[in-house]
Amino acid sequence: MTRHPHHYLLGIALAVVASGASPTFAADPVPTPEDVRFFEMKIRPLLAEKCFKCHGAEKQRGELRLDTAEGVRKGGDSGEPLIAVDKPEKGTLLRAVRHEEGVPAMPPKAKLKDSEIADLAAWVKRGAPFPASVKVSGDTSKHWAFQPVVNSPPPTVKDGTWAKSDLDRFILAKLEAAQLKPAVPADKRTLIRRATFDLIGLPPTPEEIDAFLKDASPDAFATVVDRLLASNAYGERWGRHWLDVARYADSNGLDENTAHGNAWRYRDYVIASFNADKPYDRFLLEQIAGDLLGKDEKKASSFDPVIATGFLALGPKVLAEPDEKKMEFDIVDEQIDTLGKTVMGLTLGCARCHDHKFDPVSTADYYGLAGVFISTKTMETFKKVARWHENSLATPADLKRKADHDAEVAKLKALIKGLTAKTDEPSKVELKKLKAELAELEKKAPELPAAMGVTEGKPTDVPVLRRGNHLTPGEMVARRFPVVIAGAKQAALPNDHSGRLELAKWMTDPKHPLTARVMVNRVWRWHFGQGLVRSVDNFGLLSDKPSHPELLDSLAVEFVQSGWSLKALHRRIMLSATYQMSSTHDAKAAVADPDNRLHWRSNIRRLEAEAIRDSLLAVGGLLDRTAGGPALTHLKNRDYIFDHTSKDKTSYASHCRSVYLPVIRNNLYDVFQLFDAPDASVPNGDRPTTTVPTQSLFFLNSELVASSAGALADQVLSRSEISDDDRVRQVIAMAYGRQATTKEIERLTAAVAVFEKDFATSEADAAKRRRKAWSVVCQTVLASNEFIHIR
Amino acid sequence: MAFHSAFPSRRDVLHQSALGFGFLALTDLLRAADAPAGGKAPHFKPRAKRVIFLFMKGGPSHIDTFDPKPLLDRDDGKPFPGERPRVVFAKTGNLLKSPWKFKQHGQSGSPVSELFPHVAGCVDDICFVNSLHGTNPAHGGAALKLHTGSENFVRPSMGAWVAYGLGTANENLPAFVTVCPTLAHGGVNNWASAFLPASCQGVPLGNAGSPVEQAKVRYIENTHLTRADQKKQLALLAELNSDHLARNGPDAALEGRIDSFELAFRMQKAMPEAEDISKETDATRKLYGLDDPITAPFGRQCLLARRLAERDVRFVQVTHSDGMVQWDQHGDLRKGHAKNAREVDKPIAGLLTDLKRSGMLKDTLVLWGGEFGRTPTVEGGGNDGRDHNPEGFTVWMAGGGVKPGFRYGATDDYGWYATENKVHVHDLHATMLALLGLDHERLTFKHAGRDFRLTDVHGQVIQELFA
Repeated sequence: MTRHPHHYLLGIALAVVASGASPTFAADPVPTPEDVRFFEMKIRPLLAEKCFKCHGAEKQRGELRLDTAEGVRKGGDSGEPLIAVDKPEKGTLLRAVRHEEGVPAMPPKAKLKDSEIADLAAWVKRGAPFPASVKVSGDTSKHWAFQPVVNSPPPTVKDGTWAKSDLDRFILAKLEAAQLKPAVPADKRTLIRRATFDLIGLPPTPEEIDAFLKDASPDAFATVVDRLLASNAYGERWGRHWLDVARYADSNGLDENTAHGNAWRYRDYVIASFNADKPYDRFLLEQIAGDLLGKDEKKASSFDPVIATGFLALGPKVLAEPDEKKMEFDIVDEQIDTLGKTVMGLTLGCARCHDHKFDPVSTADYYGLAGVFISTKTMETFKKVARWHENSLATPADLKRKADHDAEVAKLKALIKGLTAKTDEPSKVELKKLKAELAELEKKAPELPAAMGVTEGKPTDVPVLRRGNHLTPGEMVARRFPVVIAGAKQAALPNDHSGRLELAKWMTDPKHPLTARVMVNRVWRWHFGQGLVRSVDNFGLLSDKPSHPELLDSLAVEFVQSGWSLKALHRRIMLSATYQMSSTHDAKAAVADPDNRLHWRSNIRRLEAEAIRDSLLAVGGLLDRTAGGPALTHLKNRDYIFDHTSKDKTSYASHCRSVYLPVIRNNLYDVFQLFDAPDASVPNGDRPTTTVPTQSLFFLNSELVASSAGALADQVLSRSEISDDDRVRQVIAMAYGRQATTKEIERLTAAVAVFEKDFATSEADAAKRRRKAWSVVCQTVLASNEFIHIR
Repeated sequence: MAFHSAFPSRRDVLHQSALGFGFLALTDLLRAADAPAGGKAPHFKPRAKRVIFLFMKGGPSHIDTFDPKPLLDRDDGKPFPGERPRVVFAKTGNLLKSPWKFKQHGQSGSPVSELFPHVAGCVDDICFVNSLHGTNPAHGGAALKLHTGSENFVRPSMGAWVAYGLGTANENLPAFVTVCPTLAHGGVNNWASAFLPASCQGVPLGNAGSPVEQAKVRYIENTHLTRADQKKQLALLAELNSDHLARNGPDAALEGRIDSFELAFRMQKAMPEAEDISKETDATRKLYGLDDPITAPFGRQCLLARRLAERDVRFVQVTHSDGMVQWDQHGDLRKGHAKNAREVDKPIAGLLTDLKRSGMLKDTLVLWGGEFGRTPTVEGGGNDGRDHNPEGFTVWMAGGGVKPGFRYGATDDYGWYATENKVHVHDLHATMLALLGLDHERLTFKHAGRDFRLTDVHGQVIQELFA
């Protein structure tokens, strides 16, 4: 069982922070990672909650400050040492919290818990290491990702013939510096298979391969790329990538797993936006503030931009949370966390409870943003079971239909009312009939089209909540954006609306250091299997360092200059020599750069869950290309997926493309679960690739693989005029996109013969026996590594 | 990476045999069931090697089972004299005494109500914790908290953490199996691995909505080929994969996948063997209550748990839940709790007895509990229901290095709040990991830029519970 996650060395990461801006005890050694962990988990939160109010940045009662290393070392105005390192029990800190004689009892009102005092004692025993907190000053704001994007000229390279573009020069320069060579170009069959899976998530057809092989023009590959980008299947593939980071799902998940009956509109909006090559800044603007765009601005989109705000509304919510205030802040927290990770690669959620330990994001920054979302209406009611808000999409015709229906219902009800008092037999019969009619009619009530999404609430600022707890509010914070990027001087947000539109405009400002960088890195990740920054959802201080910072910036600059065009970005990447390398192994490079961070070859990648299923159906000729529409047909909006019954009636029998299958949180389609699709509860731009035996059981024993294999067998058997050798050629061409080798032809035809013989006892009908033998062989081809890996 | 060095011999075998469709020597390739017992070293000497978690879905009432309250009897019908929690799930009325009588049992004298006559016979092996408390009064939040330590974020299940911390000891079976889990209230998140490696996730056998006889691992059965033909199919597959590998050069992922087909093939044999109870003796079947239609379903689950545990599955969860939230008696307490207890009492006692006589109880930690307890006050008009109570409730443990015949902690006089030696759900997690030799502060996984733990920033190991 293997997995290939990216490891970050904790010790190193923490040491970086520990040696940050403000000093540790001058005489002390640098705190160990264990010290830092202990302090950050146990001590700093405790001091912050119980002590900082009187002994912190604002007030220094008794001239004592406990929020800095110097303050702790200096002690208070009594002059007695706060921490006595050689005699730990004698220091005033421990004596005070233990309420011993001769020192003021601290905290004065409520004694600390025994476990808290024990933690403090353990800390003193360690020598009271006080690692530096990360503040919005000094080094941390100089972190590369917070700096403006720089347009560097491409480096000079020794090999003047390899590079097709500046992108390649950035790659080649690093390879040359490491004395490595790029792999030879991929052959045309490998290239079209790679490009087709990359852009549309399906295998190329033999006809498409032939056309490419026959096209001898220098821009033959550009023609392929253009054809793929123009296909609606492109949006189905790349829209799905976006849905990963938008944690898209058709059910709420968590405690009350109710149906997101209208979420599909957002999904279809995303797919259409990718297909239309909607500028990425506009795409974000609509998702964050689509409901606030002016009438003229709205016209620019074929979809109503209020649908786009589903992005903010789709998160999992604890709908039966009895504490309504907590639920409200939990939902806002989820929105901030998603927006931070998805758009800016920042883990803002941490700052809910404490100043971010690693990134220069303070609780004030967090609650400045929280105010924007508290001022936004996401929920219709917080009363359990809570209901999310939906924006109406009803046209005048829809409304008329509904009004007509309501009128009919009212008419019937009036008739019924008139009859209820009567006791004669004909009236009773008539009453029964009318009641049945009413029940029928009510079942047919037209549902007005609506979309999950947000609208404006009451604009209000919120206080900092100490330790994230709404029962311990602190100072009020004006709604604003994180200081480290937006700066300390910000124009006040308006009092008459939430500030969401300003937030969206700020995030999509061409000068924003993170938005473009994060997105071009995501696109790189989805093309190559790993980002230039490998921690694609985290560009903060603990992020992975970019392997090619100048290239990242160059891509970001061009992305913005191209009008935030994703299709232009795809072309730029795919028409490079870097993209078109083969995956040829190189022993020297494999030792020097085992993770292929320098791009000395093309990565061998396993297909994602959706592409595996779609490919199985496609080669079997079973794939249904119907696009869009409701995902949940067996449930009404807000119905329970499975209440307490554990019976999920969701069906995955449809042969539509995987992107249109329902995404049920808490019970994701098992095939997708098996192949590493995320649970869709948190943004995830970097799916892992795991190898577990249950995946193999799926290929050996599942109905889906068996039926695809059977359908593939039927296709090759239906042509009675061809030989078995040709049948093998056809299977290999469809499954692998290449010509069969002589060895394969011998091997597979021999296997068919062996299985036919074996099945003689169990299957009397020769035709059926033959089909079964071919099915088993086709299944083996589909189960092989080559079928689900791209070179 | 150690991966490369572990497999060249396998690759050599494949290369040598890749001469034609020769159905290579599968005895070499599918190195049968004697895969080396592996696993990772714990942080310190473990007391337990594995866990069986008996999860009573819905919230069994502690004050009607293992935490008697004489004052509740006395003050039946009177208002609760203390302060009620700030947040409650539902409105409740006055105090409601337990409809069931308690008696002290065994040498230890631990009190058990009439609801659990068979478990009462095992109290000298049981370590009761009467002072558990959680944070969330709704099923979903509380179930997620109990299973993952977090109610509002998706985090790995405790079983996944155990699988991650200790690794697998039987390479033919998953390290974490959950028998008939409920899909409600957190569903798969209650046994998923979240950001931990996928191999740590719980493998479900059926779910609460399907009969236990049908509880099987997904895709474990091949319906269209004999085992002999499937071996031939795997040999053909190995040859295709071998050619592909030769064209691509060494690649850990491709080799790993070649290996996983072999493991799948072995698992296909090992799992049904573990699931097959037909060879159990009549005496054993009776011990678990399989001869009685009322106790048979849960009895079968408990017997499966023992069979998986003896095959070194690290964490087996057994969920008692029917199509409804089984132990959730907001009303109909008398009938509901009587029915629920009747279904599980004998099987649980059977499991404890069976583990003890085989010697496995020594290093198997059995954990019993629900997501919360119930209020001492009445809910509804029928004088026959109780609301959710996360403020104080009982779980118990047996075997695996806990103090036998022991009670720890207490709730207040009426059983609403844990008051003495309070044990939070996080503390329970920390203690369970400690019994397995794992330090909950060191069992971490780096994800999204920070270290995660089962206990987040909380958790105290309750040393007093250790034998």
